Order: sequence, then C-alpha cells, then structure tokens
Amino acid sequence: MNRCGLPFWLAGCSLALSLAAAVSWLAQPWLGPLSPQLAALLYLGTTALALFAVTTICVRWRRQLAQGKHAIQSLLTRPDHDFLDEKPPVIPLAADHPLRDVINNLAERYHSLASRLQDSEDARAALQVQLRKKAADHELASLVLASLNEPVLVVDEYGELVQANPSAERLFNFNAGEAYRRAIRNIPRCEQLLDLLNDTQRRKTHTTRQEEIQLPGPDGSPRWHEVTTCSFTSAAAKEAETLAASESGVLATMQPPQGAVVVLRDITSQKAAQQRYAEFVSAVSHEMKTPLASIKAYVELLVDGDAEDEETREEFLNIINSQTDRLHRLIDNVLNLARIESGVVEIHKVSQPLNSILIEAYETVKPAAEAKNITLVSALSPLYLPVLVDHDQLLQAAINLLSNAVKYTPEGGTVTLRSRNLDGEVQFEVEDTGVGLSPENCRRIFDRFYRVKKDTHMASGTGLGLSLAKTIIEDMHGGRISVRSQLGEGSTFTVTLPGAAELG
Amino acid sequence: MSHDILICDDELHILRAVEFKLKRAGYSVRCAEDGGQAWEAFQARRPDMLITDLQMPVMNGFELIERVRQADEGKPPLPIMMLTAKGYEMACREVAEQWGIQAILAKPFSPREVVEQVQMALAEHVS
Repeated sequence: MNRCGLPFWLAGCSLALSLAAAVSWLAQPWLGPLSPQLAALLYLGTTALALFAVTTICVRWRRQLAQGKHAIQSLLTRPDHDFLDEKPPVIPLAADHPLRDVINNLAERYHSLASRLQDSEDARAALQVQLRKKAADHELASLVLASLNEPVLVVDEYGELVQANPSAERLFNFNAGEAYRRAIRNIPRCEQLLDLLNDTQRRKTHTTRQEEIQLPGPDGSPRWHEVTTCSFTSAAAKEAETLAASESGVLATMQPPQGAVVVLRDITSQKAAQQRYAEFVSAVSHEMKTPLASIKAYVELLVDGDAEDEETREEFLNIINSQTDRLHRLIDNVLNLARIESGVVEIHKVSQPLNSILIEAYETVKPAAEAKNITLVSALSPLYLPVLVDHDQLLQAAINLLSNAVKYTPEGGTVTLRSRNLDGEVQFEVEDTGVGLSPENCRRIFDRFYRVKKDTHMASGTGLGLSLAKTIIEDMHGGRISVRSQLGEGSTFTVTLPGAAELG
Repeated sequence: MSHDILICDDELHILRAVEFKLKRAGYSVRCAEDGGQAWEAFQARRPDMLITDLQMPVMNGFELIERVRQADEGKPPLPIMMLTAKGYEMACREVAEQWGIQAILAKPFSPREVVEQVQMALAEHVS
C-alpha cells in the first residue's frame, strides 16, 4: 500500500465504524436495542481509529514540512559557485513531497539568477580590465605627447583646441589649460595654421597636409617649421552623425565633421643645411669651372694655331698643366672634406709626438718652398709634445697650412714652423712673411672657397685648404685654429690641440 | 682705329686668354683684375666695349655695370659682355635684360665665340 494512503485508509475505517454505529443505533427499532458493551466498543473503536488517523496525518505533515524547510535551508546556505554548474542543483525530496516542484522551481530560478549574476560579474571584471588598460593607454599617450620635442596640437571639429603638449605651449606661448576649448583662430600665432587646418578639415576623406611656415623662436628670431596636419573623426562626431541620420531616416552618407592633429617640426637647421649645401654645390661648380675655363680656352687657342711661336705654345701648355693640377687638388679637397663630414673617413687617434708629424709636413712642403726660393725654418720645441691625434689627418692639416704659407709668400721670403707646450695643451704655428691679410680676410679666411685677392706670381688656391685644416683641427680633434696678420707684413696661423696627457 | 675693349676678370689666366684672342683679332685691349681697377680704367678712358666677370673682389660685375650705366646716362649704351661661372642660380635672359647686357657667356667658354660676340655687339652698336 502506498504510504501516503494510510491515513486516508484509517480515516475511512473510522468513518465506516461510525457509520456502522449510527446505522445500528438507527436500526434499533427493527433490530432491537444494542447491548451497552457493544455500543461502547463501537464508539471507542471509532474514536481511537479517528485519533490514530489524525495523529498519523499530523506527523507526516510535520515531517514533510521539516524536509521542505531543510531543502530550502540547504538552497540558501549552498555556496554561490554550486549554482554555476551547468544544471540546477538536485533537491533531495521524495517524489510525492508536496513542495518538491515549488522548491525545484526555486532552485532553477536561483540557478538562472546565479548564472546571470556571474555573467554580469565577468562582464564587470572585463570592463574593469579594459578601463584600467584604457587609463594606462591614456597615461602613456599623455606621457609620449608631453615628452615630444615636436609641438603637437589637437583641434576638434569645431576648430577648438582640445589638446596641446608642453612644446606647443612654449612655441605658441599659451597655457593649454587656459586655451582649452578656445577657437584656434583666436590663439595668437596659431592664425598661420588656419589655412592649412581649413584645407585639411574640409576634405571629404581623411587627409594629411604639410607645409612650411615661419614662427618666432624663443629669442624672437624667425624659425622654420614643417607643419603636418592629419584629420580624424572623433567617436562622438561619428555617433552624432549616425543618430542624426537615423532620426531623419536618411542614410549617413555625409562625412562627419573632422578634427585635426597638428604636428610641428623645427626644420631651421635643416633649411640652413640645405642652403649651405646649395651654396656649397654652387661654389664647387664655380671653382671647378674656373680652371676648366682656362684649360678650354688655351686648348682652343692652341688648336686654332693662335700661339705662333714656341715660347707662347709652352706658356699655354704650362697654364693648361697648372690648371689641371688645380682642378685635381680641388677635387681631392672636396672629396676629403665630404669624407670627413660624412664620417666615411675612419679616425684612428693615437698618442704620438706632435713634432714628428710636423717634421713630416715640413719635408713634404720643402721642395715647393725651395722651388720658390723661400726659406722654410723649423723651430720645433725640444720637448716631447704628446698629442692624441689621427696621424694622416693632422699631417694633412699641417701640410695645408705650410703650403698655404708658401703659396702666399713672395720669392725670397721665409716660412717658419714652431711648436711649444702650453699648460697641458700643445701648440704649433706657421708664420710667413707673405702678403698678409686684411681684418676682413682674417675673419673669412677659413670660409670655404674664400680666397684673398691673388697676385700674378702666386699659384691659385682651391679655397678649401684652410677650411679643411679647420675642420680637421676643430671638429675632428677638439682643437682651435686662429690667424693674426697685417697686410704686407705676413701672417701667423696658430693651432692649439689638447695634450695627450690631458685627454688621458 | 681698332676698338678699345676693357676686360675685367680676377682669374689672370682667363684674362690673358681673352686678351690674347682679342688682340689677335685686331682689337686694342686693356685688362683689369677686379671691379675697382676696371672702374678706374673706365673713368680714365671710356672703352668701346666692356667684358667682365661677375664674381670679383672689390667690386662685383653687377656693381661695375651699374656704375658704368649711371656714368653713361644719356649716351648710347656701352656694349657689355659678361663671362661667368655662375650656373643654375642665374637666369641669364632676365639678367641680360635688366642690365642691358649684349651677351652672357658661361665659363668654360670658347675664345672664338667671345670674338664673334664682340664683333656682333660692336656691329650692332655702330648701326
């Protein structure tokens, strides 16, 4: 028998007995009176059965209630993560338990809520990670922007300044905080950017524009800047455009208004270098054309038979020869200078006695001096003068100085080479009894291709020898070169180099 | 009487070559080694033609021409030829028009062409 049917069976029995008693009492007229014992037995039996049935039902309900309570309690005290299993938790209740379905529904609901809560938690954690990353990215971008030497401005689609790095603040002389959201056309010095910004922002596609402008530098002098503007569409502008399009029911075919990033780069030195390069090329071509012009002219005179006597022919041939040598020297000097400046020449600085290099230079120039009947005097210091130098380069500089002196000293003159120790530095000088230099000549004598007015009897220089010597001495060896002179009384070129001991 | 031509160039070899060729062609030639000397020679005696370099000490070719033109104001303009090693940085036609220069010859030049140009310039001047 089913356990749950027992109380009802007992209640039924009790009802049957009560009915039997009632029937027997009602049937008394026909059956005769029941004996009192039998009647008492009938009532007692009926009552006992009824009491038993009620008690049984109560006990059972109480037990079921306790089971239900326990099940709910176990649901409430269950750890959260237990609800994250794929299936809802199984509630240990008998199949006939009246609360079983309700509690199971509750568990399922709880499971579903827990899953959704967990999804939200996961999403929140992911958002937090994204937020932290964005914050870190933003901080990094701000740091990068702040550390840039190049001034950077960001202008929004309304032409208002929304960001500027410290370099831009310095260049345009404003405070980014105060200038924030100010129209760029109202910021002094920025007006030069307006045309370029307009040109960039009004284009239908994202574009990058570039131009060169002049702005006053920190000392007020104009400096060249290369301005690059790059348009962009902010997320807010895109959203606004999409919203407007959806509200009006028209497809968003219009390009949303664009902001622009402006980056400036100081190209003053680059411009100057370009200018110097152009001047250098112009000067080199000019210097090369001059001996070439002589060569061509004299060759043509010889070809045309203009030189009728042997003496004239020899004179012309000698000129062609000397001009060819001049061209050769010029090309060598230009190449040397280019090699030194481009760093192609490897520099091997070795500690060595200055005097030995000077003696080598002296010996190299001596034949040219003798040919011009110039006395070349060596007055070198008896001291050991160590210098940390590249032998070949310093020798080249010394030869250039000596041959320059020989070139500009008239026949019968004297060129003196000296060296000395000077408080941790070493010095050598080349003194001549030549034509001398005016103060203007002294100022410009080391400029490339600068040459003093020539004398008929003097060989033509290339205009690069002294410039090359200055580059070798100052740029390559950290020394100094200077000249003192008086017109007609000769010149003295002095070179000072750091002593090797000082350089360590 | 042969035409008197004043040549001015600080490159002495070029001066000598042009002088030699022009003398061979029958001209009377005076030489100056810079703009200052040329100006003095011009003031001493006005030549029939001036041939000058551009880049020179003391006074450059343009300064010299400017002085000559100022001094010549009211007279038929003196034929001038310029010999220059200047290259791309000089737009010859504009310079020639601005200064009224008959010919600009770029170095390296042909002495033969110098003589031809001198003959043409002097012929135009006379006519």
